[in-house]
Amino acid sequence: MMRRRDALGNGNLERLMVVGAEPDETWPQNLLLRSQTAHAHAGSPDPAVLQPIGPFVAHLLSPVRLIQSRGAAPHVASRAVVSPLLLHHSPEVRNPPPPDLTASSIETGDRRPPSQMDPLKTQDSSKKSNKPKCSYRLPPPPPPNPFSFVYSKFTQQELPACKPLLTPAIVISAFLLVGVLFVPIGLASLSASQEIVELIDRYDTNCVPMADKVGFIQNSKTDKSCTRTLTVPKHMKSPIQIYYQIGDFYQNHRRYVKSRSDKQLRYKDAAHLTKDCEPEGYSADGAPIVPCGLIAWSLFNDTYTISVNKKAIEVNKKDIAWQSDKSKKFGSDVYPSNFQNGNLMGGAKLNESIPLSEQEDLIVWMRTAALPTFRKLYGRIETDIMANDQLTVVIQNNYNTYSFGGSKALVLSTTSWIGGKNNFIGIAYVIVGGLCLFLALVFVVLYMIKPRTLGDPSFLSWNRGTLDYPN
Amino acid sequence: MEVTSWTTMKRFVYINDDSCRYSYCGNRISNTKYTFWNFLPKNLWEQFRRFMNQYFLIIACLQLWSHIAPVSPATTWGPLIIIFIVSASKEAWDDYNRYLSDKKANERKVWVVKDGTHRQIKAQEIHVGDIVWLHENDEIPCDLVLIGTSDPQGICYVEMSNLDGETDLKTRFVPSISANLSADQLGKVKGVVECPNPDNDIRRFDANMRLFLPIIDNEACPLTINNTLLQSCYLRHTEWACGVAVYTGNETKSGMSRGTAETKLTAADAMIDKLTIAIFTFQIIVVLLLGYFGNIWKDTQGLKQWYLMYPMEGPWYDFLVIPLRFELLCSIMIPISIKVTLDLAKGVYAKFIDWDEQMFDWETNTPAHSANTAISEDLGQVQYILSDKTGTLTENRMIFKRCCISDTMYGNNNEDDGLKDAKLLHAVSSNDPDVIKFLNDGTVSYKAQSQDEEALVNAASNLNMMLISKDNSSAGIYFNGSDFHYELLDILEFTSDRKRMSVVIKDGQTGKILLLSKGADEAILPRASAGQQIQRYLEAVEMYSQLGLRTLCLGWRDLEEDEYKEWSKKFREASCSLHNRESKIAEVCHSLERDLHILGVTAIEDRLQDGVPETIKLLRNAGINVWMLTGDKQNTAIQIGLLCNLITSEPSSQLLSITGKTEEDILRSLERAFIIMKNTCETKDLAFVLDGCALEIILKHSKESFTRLAMLSRTAICCRMTPLQKAQLVAILKSAGYLTLGIGDGGNDVRMIQEANIGVGISGREGLQAARAADYSIGKFKFLRRLILIHGRYSYNRTAFISQYSFYKSLNICFIQILFAFLSGLSGTSLFNSTSLMAYNVFYTSLPVMTIIFDKDISETTVLQHPQILQHSQAGRLLNPITFCGWIGRSLYHALVIFFITICAYADEKSEMQELSMVALSGCIWIQAFVVTMDTNSFTYPQIILIWGNFVAFYMINLILSAIPSLQMYTIMFHLCGQPSYWITMALTVVVGMGPVMAFRYLRDMYRPSAINMLQQIEQSNGSIQAFGGMDSALESVRTNLTDLVTDSRRNSDSNYQPLLSD
Repeated sequence: MMRRRDALGNGNLERLMVVGAEPDETWPQNLLLRSQTAHAHAGSPDPAVLQPIGPFVAHLLSPVRLIQSRGAAPHVASRAVVSPLLLHHSPEVRNPPPPDLTASSIETGDRRPPSQMDPLKTQDSSKKSNKPKCSYRLPPPPPPNPFSFVYSKFTQQELPACKPLLTPAIVISAFLLVGVLFVPIGLASLSASQEIVELIDRYDTNCVPMADKVGFIQNSKTDKSCTRTLTVPKHMKSPIQIYYQIGDFYQNHRRYVKSRSDKQLRYKDAAHLTKDCEPEGYSADGAPIVPCGLIAWSLFNDTYTISVNKKAIEVNKKDIAWQSDKSKKFGSDVYPSNFQNGNLMGGAKLNESIPLSEQEDLIVWMRTAALPTFRKLYGRIETDIMANDQLTVVIQNNYNTYSFGGSKALVLSTTSWIGGKNNFIGIAYVIVGGLCLFLALVFVVLYMIKPRTLGDPSFLSWNRGTLDYPN
Repeated sequence: MEVTSWTTMKRFVYINDDSCRYSYCGNRISNTKYTFWNFLPKNLWEQFRRFMNQYFLIIACLQLWSHIAPVSPATTWGPLIIIFIVSASKEAWDDYNRYLSDKKANERKVWVVKDGTHRQIKAQEIHVGDIVWLHENDEIPCDLVLIGTSDPQGICYVEMSNLDGETDLKTRFVPSISANLSADQLGKVKGVVECPNPDNDIRRFDANMRLFLPIIDNEACPLTINNTLLQSCYLRHTEWACGVAVYTGNETKSGMSRGTAETKLTAADAMIDKLTIAIFTFQIIVVLLLGYFGNIWKDTQGLKQWYLMYPMEGPWYDFLVIPLRFELLCSIMIPISIKVTLDLAKGVYAKFIDWDEQMFDWETNTPAHSANTAISEDLGQVQYILSDKTGTLTENRMIFKRCCISDTMYGNNNEDDGLKDAKLLHAVSSNDPDVIKFLNDGTVSYKAQSQDEEALVNAASNLNMMLISKDNSSAGIYFNGSDFHYELLDILEFTSDRKRMSVVIKDGQTGKILLLSKGADEAILPRASAGQQIQRYLEAVEMYSQLGLRTLCLGWRDLEEDEYKEWSKKFREASCSLHNRESKIAEVCHSLERDLHILGVTAIEDRLQDGVPETIKLLRNAGINVWMLTGDKQNTAIQIGLLCNLITSEPSSQLLSITGKTEEDILRSLERAFIIMKNTCETKDLAFVLDGCALEIILKHSKESFTRLAMLSRTAICCRMTPLQKAQLVAILKSAGYLTLGIGDGGNDVRMIQEANIGVGISGREGLQAARAADYSIGKFKFLRRLILIHGRYSYNRTAFISQYSFYKSLNICFIQILFAFLSGLSGTSLFNSTSLMAYNVFYTSLPVMTIIFDKDISETTVLQHPQILQHSQAGRLLNPITFCGWIGRSLYHALVIFFITICAYADEKSEMQELSMVALSGCIWIQAFVVTMDTNSFTYPQIILIWGNFVAFYMINLILSAIPSLQMYTIMFHLCGQPSYWITMALTVVVGMGPVMAFRYLRDMYRPSAINMLQQIEQSNGSIQAFGGMDSALESVRTNLTDLVTDSRRNSDSNYQPLLSD
């Protein structure tokens, strides 16, 4: 590994290519050393001869040594290679070379980094003399090799980096920018929200004439119709959305939200997949209920008939559900069966001759709400309603919210780009924007009152003489 | 006692005899941890022994109960299985590679000789008693007792670097009993080797060998480790060698010494574990509370909600259902990804260390290496460095400097090289007999086993006295044109207990027998013959060691022929004994080494390594206490301590010496040192000096007061330490709760290195033994500063962020779920769908956090300029309960912001479950991206790509998921992205979520900056590093004085953490 690193990392690449072979780490070191010795002794200093023993020698010998062996003193090179291993027990040492020379040849081995490998320089130095004076002097580390992964900026953790600091300029301008952007957006949303005309009529208490509300609602015999009259405060442009709003109804309850079978709703032959629908999976006679589950079972069943100035207007109940639900979630060949057949009546009944994909009230209802108070689309009025028009709504007040104290309301609302009437976003934007501007101002003032040089080393705790870090 | 009897059990190996070959295991090596069949159960068992994994397994099993599972079980099983597969495949891959290398080793062809015929068999088929025939450069397949070589003198050379890391060749000898056998005879030899049961001591092999007829030599021949060829070594420079297999397979010495190192747990890991347990407790409390109120809600409200159709009477376990649902809902509080993320990050830290070019030692071509990838953070929290001296602080390149022979001091103060001293040259050329003898002594024992000897021989050869041949039994010396031959009779080896070694030689010319000894002064001088003046030598030793030189004393003595013979017999007996051979030999040697004529003292210089003083100064400025533990003499050690900035000679520092002649003296001086240290003004640099004997007594009698002293002392010099004592000192500091780093280079430091929290080995001239045992190996002491200040510090900072952020993001989503519970009748509904939950933890939030592994809070230059900044990480200021509370607070705040903005903006007709959940989730992702951005100090392109790429990926993934009709979130994302109000809501969430954090940060950074902020600002203000350079030097004196204050304050107020990230 280290050898390889040397070969690639030190930029010995060129030299390897001269010799023309891949570095072979498994090449027995000893054999090579011997053959190298033999060559040197045989007086064939031509580097071409080195080719067969190739890479290792190339690797072992720095250019310095190659040049030496090519030049005047081949024996120096040979001994240099041999001596490190045979020093301790070989008769070779009987006439030991001057110690510094031995040492220097050892030193010029693998260790010399490539910055010293400049062929011109080394040639010069080797021409000058055979006594390398620089034997122990180690050159500084060479520049990283750009071709090697190991020395990339990435591995050295030296990737160019941008280091933003929370300087007053950045922070103040950031807050200013946010403030400047937020206030107009907030005002725009607010005005959009304000332009929406919304009529809310809570009818759950008023539509029950008696004190025993639960008894009233649960009695299937009584007439539950209830007439409400509303005055439209402002001109309402079509389309006007009609919602029913239920309060304190936990459509997000775990027991409720899971009680459905999406497969059954989608596919005709999946009617038996009612595992999650308990306790509304099967009817009393054991047939699967379609659509099964608590959600479908508790389908909202109040109805509204609306007339404007005593003149009935049409409530469009088409396309109130998401198109995607109709086409992909509810099957056009799945028909309700065994629905609401049990002893316990839940909500609305379904027309068994209409496929589920057309039962838009059901589809809307089955998109469960995340919050306990929610609105669901009931229909649309596609004509404008003028200001001060009298709206008369005849409500079939069937749905039981009384047993759990929930509320029911009818909502008529126009729409805009922001959706329904919701002042929250507008107000929040204005407030947040205002706060940001205020903070920016505070920071500016603070900066003026108490300017502080960034990066004053005298603030460093160890320069300041306080015992504690600033807290 | 039982242990002894067990260890002295023997095995009898019958050479070339089939009858016993199957009683021991074959030579099949197996390093694998698993087999194909037991991999799955064993690996599962290993993995699920960890608490975290058990926790997740329980959660995953609970998920299978659909009645309580809030989301699909896949949310837990998926990540759990992925994590399991990742760690299992890593294990499997490692094991497979081990299997492959084992297989290669096992199927290697080796030659064995059976009744005279050579056969080639697979290495795994070798059995105990076989004669294995090795050729040059062969790897030795099992532990062998050498019985013959191609060398007429019966020696062979082995390279043992695989075993002890030392690259120099070792000489092995054929035991005398088989020395004269021919190659043919060797193949047919029969006999028995009596050897101890397999152990892992590669320096000991106390056995006997007896050969049977036809070789008529019935005497038991003692065998030592020098007669063995150990598995996994290589035969070098020897044409062939053959040996008897004594230990095979996994019972060889190398097989027995393999073992898995125990895993070290970093301080940061321990803190993370603590925090995990705290979060777990918090989770249980939340679950119990929510479960309790959930049940109450169900009983009071739930039954009224007719559409829920709650049965009046539930099953008996009904009261458990809601708490268990919440348990599952809250299980994400403990992030499943934290372990994987941290392991990955640690792996990268380790790679950064391996790759670091500035820690690459060009002199020896050694890169820094982290063998233990798991403990990089500890480097940034080191409090004590315990350093070896020789080879660690010094170069371990010995140069002969001075000597004192027969009362004459050679080498004077001005001269650099003792060898150039004219006086000495003169003395040599005039054949001063004492001088000659002096020089002889060094040369004869030359084996280049020790650096000192090499220095002596080099010096001698420069004085025209050359060692020209040296083999097993004789040595030739060439001096002034004539050869001298000495016959080497016995070597009384060096042991650290005896602290000396001797040789018995016979002069080739005169036939006189001489004993030559060399060793430490206190080991040689007391053994001088009565009446000899040793005062002069004592002075010389004193003087040399004050100059920081290593001294050796030499002595000699004539031996009478009879005396030698008698002793020789005893020596032979002792070296044959199987029990306590070492102590018996020591005893015998002792009896011979007496009445020495002291010849002189040599002084050898061991130069300080490059950059050592600067490094030590830097480390001390960084608040790290540096202790020097050495086997050397006190004076030498103090001298080196002065040279390398460990102690200063100015009046500002004081050395407290703990010495004494008796136990009471020592204990009293310990007390005194303690009182002085406690009462002295803290700006004064106090250090205590202690030697091995004193330590022994102190540890025996008053360990507590020593521990107290150790805690006060920033510097200590401990000399004459045995390897065990070094480890004991580490253990004392560790037991006081400090994070210790042991650094050393030699085999004598291995115990210390292994004992310390972090072991650093210098791959030096004493071999790689220390480097192999260590967690980190570096080429030079000076690299320690980068290792600690750069890598350690960054690793700590990064781990602190990764771990806390992992909890932050899990808690964030968990808090949202809990808040939603209050709106869903405490029924345990999950706001988020299964896909989102799974992807959130594993994907959306794990990638951005990984970017922090490229983060640098302040540049490397700044850290090295202001090493004091390390005190931040040392004191654990970035990862502690307070910072963690800050993160929890931020998490809660962000959860509140996301949740309330979402439910307000998406109220009424928009409150569709899927939409609302996606709005909340995107709110989380937006905030996360900004949180990571805000906590990143430096942006490099991988960071920018990962943070914002992940952000883009979130939308891509969800848009793709929204296109799949069968999923719950079909078309949801299309709906949302088309609504202006969605984007407006996101912007609001980000500003409300991040605005206060930013404002708080800004105010803190501006008006109450931490040291890190300060340094960042220094870096930023243009060119200030240069500009303040001058100022720095002006502040230098102040700083050095105050550094101690800061560290002491750290020490006194460990609880004084600074919450860095609280809201």
